[in-house]
Amino acid sequence: MNHQTADEPGMEHPEVTATGLLAARTERLSPLYDAAIWTFTWGFRLGAALLLLGIVMALVKQEPLGREADPFAEVIGQVRAGHASGVIDLAILWFMFTPVVTVIVVAATFWRLGDRRYALLSLVVLAILGASIALALNR
Amino acid sequence: MTLSPHDPITLIAIGVVAAVAAILGSMLGLGGGVFLVPILTLFFGIDPKFAVGASAVVVVTNSVVGSTNHLRIRFTNPRLAMLLQIATAAGAIAGALYGVVADPRVIYGVFGGVLIYAAVSMVIRRERSVSAPPIDTPDPLRLGAAFRDPAIGSDVGYIPGNAGWGMGVGVGAGVISGMLGVGGGVVMVPAMNLLMRVPVKAAVGTSTFMVGITSVATAFVFYSQGFIDPTLVVPAIVGVFLGGQIGSRLTRRIRAQRLSLLFSLILLYLGVSLLFRALEIPAPWQA
Repeated sequence: MNHQTADEPGMEHPEVTATGLLAARTERLSPLYDAAIWTFTWGFRLGAALLLLGIVMALVKQEPLGREADPFAEVIGQVRAGHASGVIDLAILWFMFTPVVTVIVVAATFWRLGDRRYALLSLVVLAILGASIALALNR
Repeated sequence: MTLSPHDPITLIAIGVVAAVAAILGSMLGLGGGVFLVPILTLFFGIDPKFAVGASAVVVVTNSVVGSTNHLRIRFTNPRLAMLLQIATAAGAIAGALYGVVADPRVIYGVFGGVLIYAAVSMVIRRERSVSAPPIDTPDPLRLGAAFRDPAIGSDVGYIPGNAGWGMGVGVGAGVISGMLGVGGGVVMVPAMNLLMRVPVKAAVGTSTFMVGITSVATAFVFYSQGFIDPTLVVPAIVGVFLGGQIGSRLTRRIRAQRLSLLFSLILLYLGVSLLFRALEIPAPWQA
């Protein structure tokens, strides 16, 4: 069991199995699992609600959907103007941003749990996603 | 695009096709994108770049929904996911940047190759076996984890190996994902299982979490070029969500392994059809 480290529960019990130590290490990440589940769940629920609202608005107002999602800057204006296509574009963007927010949550939780290495790795992932978002912003 | 604009019948048909793609993808653990893009391009005549853009958004949504269950039962390994994600996300941006300017014939050709690979690997999957992962090896990256396997009623511990090779494969999976709008699980699950010796359930759980993040990188690049069409995305999201629910229920009742030969033939048919399309030759069965 040469992979165990001092910060893991069970170190003082030699009878603890290697699998038990790995299970304990996994359970130390419970706050991370909970935060990711919460972010995904509410990200999907709110995105689905927006999508449903947009579909209902399009049906009620007999408004055709756009053939191309509008740029970021125009989506808010479309929503404020009460256009169904704006609400649907916002729902699509909401779905796209949900995993980005999850990566932020994961990075913050790794940091809070004292796992600086994986907090930084998560921030590298976030920076890579930021590059693709920057492309989308410059549309 | 040959899709009739705002035609309700076409929108419903796309929703149904997306549902069928999600049922097949869910039963095979491949995700819906593997079937969605070929069907949209081959049978609806949709420009592959719009099909890929729609598929990327659908894969994101599917991952958001599918990941919660895998996270809850601890099949997902967050450390392994974040390590590999650096490679797959970077690869996805590179693949997507090429995908938005690529000749559609290249997309058809690469997609055809990936489908044929998936078909062949599905047939030989049962022949392969991976020995139980060693859990007494050094774990300098602290990637080791454990989950409770309900099938055997006990904890399964594992320490992934070959992280460097895994990241190398991850770049390739990301490029494919970025070009084709698929999640990349078709490459990453076997890579994690066979190369890194991650148990299949943990590989699937970790991959499901990763594909959403990988596909976000793809989706934003396609969005930046105007290739996200809500008339495709909305029915596809609804169809894939409903199909995914049906697929997961069917998976519990039907042993997908028994249908693997049939599914392989479907993948082979789509893959060869795309190769014919890439070569601009009518497939014999379409002539």
